[in-house]
Amino acid sequence: MQKIILPERPTWRDEAKELGFTFADMHGEPYWDETSAYRFTLKQVEDDIEDPATELHGMCREAVAEIVASDALMARLCIPEAYRDMVAESWTREHPEIYGRFDLAYDGAGPARMLEYNADTPTSLYESASFQWSWLEGQLAAGVLDEGDDQFNGIHEALVERFREVFSTGSDLHFTAMGGNPEDYATVECMAWAAREAGLGAHYSDLDKIGISTDGQFIDHEDRVIGTLFKLYPWEDLLRDEYADRIRGSDCLMVEPAWKAVLSNKGLLPVLWQMFEGHPNLLPAFFEADIAGALSGQGSAAPEVAEAFSRAEAALSAGYVTKPVFSREGASVTIVENGAVTEAATNTDYSQHPGIVQAYAPLPDFDGFRPVIGAWIVGTECAGMSIREDRSRITQDLSRFKPHFIRG
Amino acid sequence: MRRRSKKVALSIVGATAFTLAGCAEEQIDAQAYPDLPACVAAANSGGLFSVEECRTAVAEAQTLHVEAAPRYDSLTVCEEQHGAGACGSEAAAAEGGSGSIFMPLLAGYLIGNMMRGTGGMAASQPMYRTANGRFTNATGSSVFGGNAGKATLGAGQFARPPATRGRAPMTRAMAASRGGFGKSGTSRGSYGG
Repeated sequence: MQKIILPERPTWRDEAKELGFTFADMHGEPYWDETSAYRFTLKQVEDDIEDPATELHGMCREAVAEIVASDALMARLCIPEAYRDMVAESWTREHPEIYGRFDLAYDGAGPARMLEYNADTPTSLYESASFQWSWLEGQLAAGVLDEGDDQFNGIHEALVERFREVFSTGSDLHFTAMGGNPEDYATVECMAWAAREAGLGAHYSDLDKIGISTDGQFIDHEDRVIGTLFKLYPWEDLLRDEYADRIRGSDCLMVEPAWKAVLSNKGLLPVLWQMFEGHPNLLPAFFEADIAGALSGQGSAAPEVAEAFSRAEAALSAGYVTKPVFSREGASVTIVENGAVTEAATNTDYSQHPGIVQAYAPLPDFDGFRPVIGAWIVGTECAGMSIREDRSRITQDLSRFKPHFIRG
Repeated sequence: MRRRSKKVALSIVGATAFTLAGCAEEQIDAQAYPDLPACVAAANSGGLFSVEECRTAVAEAQTLHVEAAPRYDSLTVCEEQHGAGACGSEAAAAEGGSGSIFMPLLAGYLIGNMMRGTGGMAASQPMYRTANGRFTNATGSSVFGGNAGKATLGAGQFARPPATRGRAPMTRAMAASRGGFGKSGTSRGSYGG
């Protein structure tokens, strides 16, 4: 894994504009940044990212089965009591999953470590599946990259295949996101292109324009009944919206399914550690409430995790991260090293939620930037990779998207 | 083995990308007027419609209003949807109407420049106020910024609204039938991660 300075495609900005990639710069900073790219060997990609991510997803599915069968765990993950049955039912009825993205810490050597799983509403799909792909094709054509260079990016094809597998030809799917956000919208449209290529009908409605008919079915802004709804809006919010109690009776298949609420939730991390302690791709993790006293030296760990905690104590005392169970773009994340807070997110949107503690896995430093690897899961397998890097040790909303290529 | 897609979808087109999926909807030139005199005045200064067309269209919309305006079981619920002073009883709007069913007052006419009587279509649609000072149609499926001005609209806007006359009026629970998703997340910019 290397960061290599490369000439930019001379007309990429025009191309981005033409393609509708309007957020290539954000908050006055570059977001898409091709002044350099990350290079991986095929072995690194396949052995260190792809296979472990597929395996992690399998472990996550085992964790779902565990969590939805336990009211106590659902409570710890802040799933509202009224909807725990719905979440469990979506799992037992095998409501289909489409995609997700693991965030991994990886430095080119040693195992990639799972930081978290964006299993419900991963964004940056367009940049990952499409614009990154056209960067590679363009740089190959320009001779900037060598013949035979490749990219781990079968995301689009895997999505088409997945839609074919799950839905019968000609089915109508509705797609929704909150209006007015071009990043979220790009992910939704990218998803819809794949659905259409799979022979499905795709319709879009802003989330807040969705209504409910007098017989309890969800309808779009043109009063068409919604049979399947792909929503780029997290379950933790859906379950707290006014229509939450209408979902079950609506006869609408939700994508991602409700059981993703327990994966896209930092409470997953301690559950995984409990089930698979010592797995090379996992970091030690605990519910904060179980070990807060023990960590500060003012008490002991909860009895059911006391042994696991003592095995992880050395790792945790070197450094740990606290995260609320719900958090996006690094909000309310804190890094503690040797007992002192060394970094804290400026955005504290989610701090009211209970938290988890995870051993700190520093992101590698490449020229002052710290890359985090996105490993995309489509269906149940890893289908591609994307990289965002940030000057800060907590990857937040000013992070940059970096293309990657495989050579060697 | 190649690790990247052979081809991908490249462009973000905007919501229009979705309607292309089905058959493209016919576009119709339309004009909104707050009342008949406004339509007539426009007709006399070279508007989209003649005076005669104005009269027919307004009469049509008035008939639709009686047939298909949203109906509520109390004045309070109606005013929650359409704003204070924007509602009246069914009895006041139509002969033989009930005094305990409430409907929004007609607040404008949306007139499409199209062939009359095409199956299931009504060239002229009643408009109603919304609680936040905008305008909507009988089914509440569209929201317009004003009740005057030109627009090009999809033919779907001119579908005949289902009749509400003689059906049970909406209660508050039924009337709150749009916008029930999205409130929990509105403080944030992006919903993904």
